[in-house]
Amino acid sequence: MAYVAARGGEQAILEAENLYRELLGTLSLERVKIIEETMPYLIDRVMGEASIYAPELAALAIAQTGGELYESVLLLRAYRSTQPRLAYAAPLEQDDLKTVRRVSAAFKDIPGGQVLGPTLDYSHRVLRMEVLRGETVTHQTKAAPQASPSSFPALAAWQRQAGLLPEIQADQTVPSEIPDVTREPLLFPVSRAHKLQSLARGDTGGILALGYANMRGYGAVHPTINEVRLAYAEVLLTHPSTGVQFSAGQVRVSSSEIVTNFAGNPQDPRLELGFSATLGWNEVKTIAASMLDLSMERSGHPSQTPEFVLYHTEPVEASGFCIHFKLPHYVTFQSSLEAMRDVKGKGHREKVKEESAVALEEAML
Amino acid sequence: MGYIPSKVMQETFSQSQALAILTQAAAQEVKALAEELLPLLEQHAPLEVTQNRTGLVMLPYRDTVHGTLFHLGEVLIAEAQVRQNNLLGYGMVLGRDLEQALAVALLDLAFQAGIGLERLNRFLEAAQSEQTHVHNQLFAKVDATRVQMETF
Repeated sequence: MAYVAARGGEQAILEAENLYRELLGTLSLERVKIIEETMPYLIDRVMGEASIYAPELAALAIAQTGGELYESVLLLRAYRSTQPRLAYAAPLEQDDLKTVRRVSAAFKDIPGGQVLGPTLDYSHRVLRMEVLRGETVTHQTKAAPQASPSSFPALAAWQRQAGLLPEIQADQTVPSEIPDVTREPLLFPVSRAHKLQSLARGDTGGILALGYANMRGYGAVHPTINEVRLAYAEVLLTHPSTGVQFSAGQVRVSSSEIVTNFAGNPQDPRLELGFSATLGWNEVKTIAASMLDLSMERSGHPSQTPEFVLYHTEPVEASGFCIHFKLPHYVTFQSSLEAMRDVKGKGHREKVKEESAVALEEAML
Repeated sequence: MGYIPSKVMQETFSQSQALAILTQAAAQEVKALAEELLPLLEQHAPLEVTQNRTGLVMLPYRDTVHGTLFHLGEVLIAEAQVRQNNLLGYGMVLGRDLEQALAVALLDLAFQAGIGLERLNRFLEAAQSEQTHVHNQLFAKVDATRVQMETF
């Protein structure tokens, strides 16, 4: 069978895109601004998965695609590929984050205290129908007399001081030498830097599904949240001529530590922890990802296998592969069909042949 | 605000502090101040804009469990470099506002050259005060969500 070039459908393609955009209505700066101002968590999710912090562009991507999130992430990734890399910021340290929310489910009394910050965790999940009747709903926080300290140590650091975790050697890799999945292939066995970067840019839904599979019982880990944190992080850069370090602004980040069963040995019991962080405020993703980080230290179910987890939670590759099946596969499908017809035809011919042989035998008898 | 001699003012902010305040101040105000100080800078010596572009900054993060450094993602920034004699004014701001980056670079140059310092320091003081106020307001509200737990 030969491959056949096909042509046609140009006008239909043009009008299909026009129809998509027409049904969305007019794309305007005002619409983009409204999305940017009113949907920060959606913007954070898209920025985290696209792995680029650019709220204005994320809002534009959401407006332009009508909220089709995989398309939005793809638009941002495509834009990212047009931009040069100009510098490496100083590594973010947990102690330096301006933390607005930090809670622990493992310890009641933690250094710095439990700060709930902005959350819907304890809210009644009830639609505010009065808004649809034209009422306006606003909320006002009763501020404390004084501002709280904005920096909190990592729970892991506190546990390390208490001898519950082994001491670690701080990684001294210069930022430009840190392994980077955007510049080199993801290879297995995976380095920890690649694993954490892949989880940081992973698909929220995919990471949640695999993390949930682990939590629900397919994994051996029963998770407790050591800490979950939402914060602002300073992007610290270096002045090219004076060498002075300065902040170019703040970005929203979230991180999570998961703690589980006692490890080590009976004489020296230790805790085991998993970690994850991402751009933007996205708690569910970091909790599930820190669960996967810890699970991938083990082996068993596919959701504990780095290759399975990291390949299948890459949002652009996963969604792209899925939707590519919509594109014409006429030749390959026809080829399968031909093969199927051949088999069926051969079977039919053999059946006819068998029946004829039986008839002949009967006639001879 | 009363007059403060420029020598004293010069010591009020470090370059690091000045840049941090400028990058986070309202873009329109920073641009307006740069416009205001531009004639003074131009009187001093010729200015050359050697860079004004958008690009990406890689943001590393330290894992708290094993201490590993990894890339959290990239940040879109606008960058500007302005040269005058042997000084390099530098501006890098989040987003893609090239004018804002250029304004910060010009003000950084003014800061280093000691040009228009009194006006610049007044601006920095006001902007810092505003930024501190916003920070304190937010973290006073955050403190209201601190759990006062009792054990029974």
